[in-house]
Amino acid sequence: MRISDLKISISGIRGIVGKSLTPQLLIKFSEAFSSYISGDRIAIATDTRPSGEMVKHAVIAGIQSCGGSPLDLGILPIPSLQIFTSEKKIDGAISITASHNPVQWNALKLIKKGGFFLFPFEAEELLDFYYQGKFRRTGFPKEVKRVDDPFAPHKGKILNFIDLDRIKKRRPKVVIDPCGGAAAPYVKAFLEELGAEVKCINCKIAGDFPRNPEPIPENIQDLCRTVISSGADIGFAQDADADRLAAVDEKGFPLGEEYTLALAACSFLRYKQKSPIVVNLSTSRVMEDIAEKEGVALFRSKVGEINVTRLMIDKKAKFGGEGNGGIIASDIHTCRDSFTGMALLLEFLARSRKSVSELRAELPSYYMVKSKKRASYREGKRILNQIRQEFHGGKLNTQDGLRIEFPDFWFHLRLSNTEPIVRIQVESSLKQTAVEIFDHVSNLISE
Amino acid sequence: MRISVSGIRGEVPHALNVEIVSKLSSAFASYLEEGRIALCRDSRPSSHMFKMASLSSLMAVGVGGDDFGLLPTPFLQFLIARKKYKGGISFSGGHSPYTWNAVLLLDADGAYLEASEGSEVFNIFESADFKKVTWKRLGKVLKKEFPLELYFHELSRLVNLKRIKDSHFKIVADPCNGAFSKYLKYFGDYFNLTLISINDDPSKPFPHLPEPNRKNASQVEAVVRATDSDLGFLLNSDGSRISFVDEKGNGLSEEMTLPLCLLSLNNKIKKAVTTVVSSSLSNWVADKTGISLVRTRVGQSSVVHMMEAENAEAGGEGSGSIALKSFSQGYDALLSLVLILDLLAGEDKKLTDIIQPFPIRHMRKIKVEVPPEKTYRIMDRLEEIYANEKPDFIDGIRIDRDKAWFNIRPSLTEFIIRLTIESEQQEIIRAIEEEIRERILV
Repeated sequence: MRISDLKISISGIRGIVGKSLTPQLLIKFSEAFSSYISGDRIAIATDTRPSGEMVKHAVIAGIQSCGGSPLDLGILPIPSLQIFTSEKKIDGAISITASHNPVQWNALKLIKKGGFFLFPFEAEELLDFYYQGKFRRTGFPKEVKRVDDPFAPHKGKILNFIDLDRIKKRRPKVVIDPCGGAAAPYVKAFLEELGAEVKCINCKIAGDFPRNPEPIPENIQDLCRTVISSGADIGFAQDADADRLAAVDEKGFPLGEEYTLALAACSFLRYKQKSPIVVNLSTSRVMEDIAEKEGVALFRSKVGEINVTRLMIDKKAKFGGEGNGGIIASDIHTCRDSFTGMALLLEFLARSRKSVSELRAELPSYYMVKSKKRASYREGKRILNQIRQEFHGGKLNTQDGLRIEFPDFWFHLRLSNTEPIVRIQVESSLKQTAVEIFDHVSNLISE
Repeated sequence: MRISVSGIRGEVPHALNVEIVSKLSSAFASYLEEGRIALCRDSRPSSHMFKMASLSSLMAVGVGGDDFGLLPTPFLQFLIARKKYKGGISFSGGHSPYTWNAVLLLDADGAYLEASEGSEVFNIFESADFKKVTWKRLGKVLKKEFPLELYFHELSRLVNLKRIKDSHFKIVADPCNGAFSKYLKYFGDYFNLTLISINDDPSKPFPHLPEPNRKNASQVEAVVRATDSDLGFLLNSDGSRISFVDEKGNGLSEEMTLPLCLLSLNNKIKKAVTTVVSSSLSNWVADKTGISLVRTRVGQSSVVHMMEAENAEAGGEGSGSIALKSFSQGYDALLSLVLILDLLAGEDKKLTDIIQPFPIRHMRKIKVEVPPEKTYRIMDRLEEIYANEKPDFIDGIRIDRDKAWFNIRPSLTEFIIRLTIESEQQEIIRAIEEEIRERILV
C-alpha cells in the first residue's frame, strides 16, 4: 500500500514541505476554515520552523479570500494562541506548527471561539467544506492586522494564578530548553518574572531545531548536563509549540513526561484546589495513586487533547493532562500548557521546601514501555481482537483501541487514524513484567 | 476572466481568486527556476491578498521575492532591469473596476511577458507541474522600499527639469485612490509643482471607474476651473495610463495623451510604435515631427516587444499610455505627465494653445453583442466584404478610407465584437457604424 505523507484529518492538515504540503493546499484549507467558522476575526501564529513564513502567507491569503480578517500574532506558543483567542474573543485561530515533529514537517491546527480545538464533528464538517470546495469567497477581502505582545494575556493569567511571593522567596535556579521553538522569545523573561534565576539553552531561533523537538529523555541530554553543571534546582524542556513539558531534577535526571505531569498534579491538588482530574487512557497509573491520596475522582478519556478537555468540562475537572507532558489547568485555560506546568512545579518547590528528586521519591514508581509497530488498519483490528481473547479476565476498556488492566500491569493498544501503525504502551511497577508483556504483545503484532 | 500572454485579468472572486493566483505564481516561478523577483500591488482590496498567495507560492518553488508593497506598476518595471531581477509580478487591475484585478507577469527587462514566454508559463500552469524545494531551500521574502530618488532622477533627465521647476505649475491630480496616491507629494516637490490632489487615499474605494478619460474627468474639470490651475490629470489604479484636463477645465480624450507625448519628444526620437486602434492624431504629429510610426496589435506586450523588434524609441496606445525605451519597458503615466509639462514649459504656452492646431478627430468605441459560435463566421464574412478596400489584418480587420478609418475585432473575454471608428465628421462615423452593424447582424 502506498502511504502519503500528507495527512488531512480532523486534527487539521499535516505534511512535508517540498513534497506534499503545497501553498495551493494550504490556501484551500484556510479558505475552508474561513468559510466554516462564524465571525471573521482569525488569529494566526507560527512556531519557529523556517517554512512557517511560506505557510503563513498562504494561510493569510486563504483567510482573506473568504472574508476573514487575519490577525498576525507572529511566533507564539500554541497555548498562548488559544488563550489569546479566548481572552480577546477572537472567532477562530490557526496555529502553524508541526509540534514535536522534525523540521521538514509543518501543519495547521484549527482553533475555534473560546480557544478550543475543533470538536471532531466540527472538524468533519470543515472537511466537507474543504473537499467540496464550499468556499464563501469575497470580492472585498479585509486587511491583515498585526498584534503587539500577543503573549501578554497568557502571562497575565499565570501570574495571577500562581503564588509569586513564595517562588520569589525561594528564588529557584532554573535551566530552560525551549528547543529554539515558539517559546524561545518569551520563556526566559516569563520565568524571571515568576522569580526564578534563569539559564536558557537552545533559546536562539535558527533554521533547524537544535535537537529533536519531542521532550523525551533521550532528546534532552544537553539540558540534563546543564542542570548539573550550573547547579540548578530544576530543568525544563518544551517542544516546538510549547504545549508539552518535561522536567529534569536537580541531579540532572529526567523525570519523564509522565512524572512531570504527576508532580504538576500534586502541586495543583495540594495548593490550588481539590478537584476531579482527567487524564487519557495511556497515562500512567501514578495518576490514580495521586487521585486516591488526595481524595479526588479520576476520569480517563480517549487520547488527544480535545478529548481530555471535553471530559474535563463534562466532569467539572480543574486539572487534567496527558502522559506525554501535556499539563492542563482550566483556571488558566483548558489546553495543554507547558508554561502553566512550569509555574505549578516552581510553586511546588517553593512551598514544599523540598528538592525535585525528593518530591519525585514520594511517588510510587512505575516502568513504562512505549513503542509502535507497523500494521495496516485491517491487520491491526484483527490483532487487537486476538489479544483481547488472550488477555481475558482483565479490566477491559475499548473506548480508544484496547486497554486491559490487571493488578500488576496494564497495556493500551491504539490504531493510528493517520498512519498504518499500532501504538503500544505497557506499564507495570516491575520493569521485568513491563518488558515481558511488551515483547509478547509486539511479537503478536509482528506475526 | 481574461488569460492573456502576460497574465490574468478578471472579476474577484468568480474569475480571479487566490487559487488561480497561487497556481499562476507557482508556474511563473517554476518557469524562472531560481533567483529573485520584484513584486508590487495597487490599492484594490484583493491586491494584498493576491500578493500573499503569490509570495507563499514563490517561496515554495525556491524563488525569493522583494516586496515593494503599494507601488505603481511602471515604477516596478523601471527597477527590474536596473536591479537585475529575474522578473516581476504586479497585482494591479489598472483600468478595470474596483472588484476586478489582474496579475501582470514581467520579464527581466520589466516588460510584460512576450507571447512565447507567456504560453510557456501557462503550459506549466495547466500541467500543475510546479517545482518544489525542501525547507532548507525555500525562497525568502523581503520588504523593500522603492528608490524614489533614483526613479525621479532618471525621469527628470529626460526633460528640462529647470524649465519645469521655474514654471511653477499649478496642477490638479486625481490618482483615483490608486497606487500613485502615496507618491504624489514627492513628485510635486521634485518638480516644484503646486499640486492640488483629489481622490488620493489608497485605503478608500475608487471614486469613479479607474479609466482616465473625459467621462471620468468631471471632478478634475471642476477643481481646475475653481483653482485656476494650469493642468489637470487622471490616472488609472496602477499609474500606467493618464488623461488630461486643459487649463480651461475641459477634459481631453485619452486618445490625446500619446500625440501630445510624441509632440514633446520631437527631435528626441525617430521611430514610435502604436496600435491599429489608436487615433490618427498620432500620425498627424508624427508627420509634423518626422517620427516614423509603426502599428501593431493591441496591448502593452505587443507594443513594447514591437519597439524592441523595430528598434523604436517609444511606444504607446490610445488608452493614454506611453513607454520610452531608454527609460523603462512599460507604460508610465508619470512619464507622459512630465513630457507634457516639458512641452508646456518649453513652448511657454497653455495646453489649449498647443492643442489648437490639432485637426478635429472624433472616435467612437462600440461593443456589439454576438453569439460566440457566430463570431468567426461574421469575421470571415466581413473579410470578404471589405476585401477590395485593402484591409489590414494586424489585429482584426482595419479599413482606411478617405476621411475615416475603422477597426473590427472580436473580444477575447466577452461575447462581443469591438468596433473602433475615427473620423473628422460625426456623420461619417454614424454611417460607418450603421453599415457595419447591418453586416454583422445579417
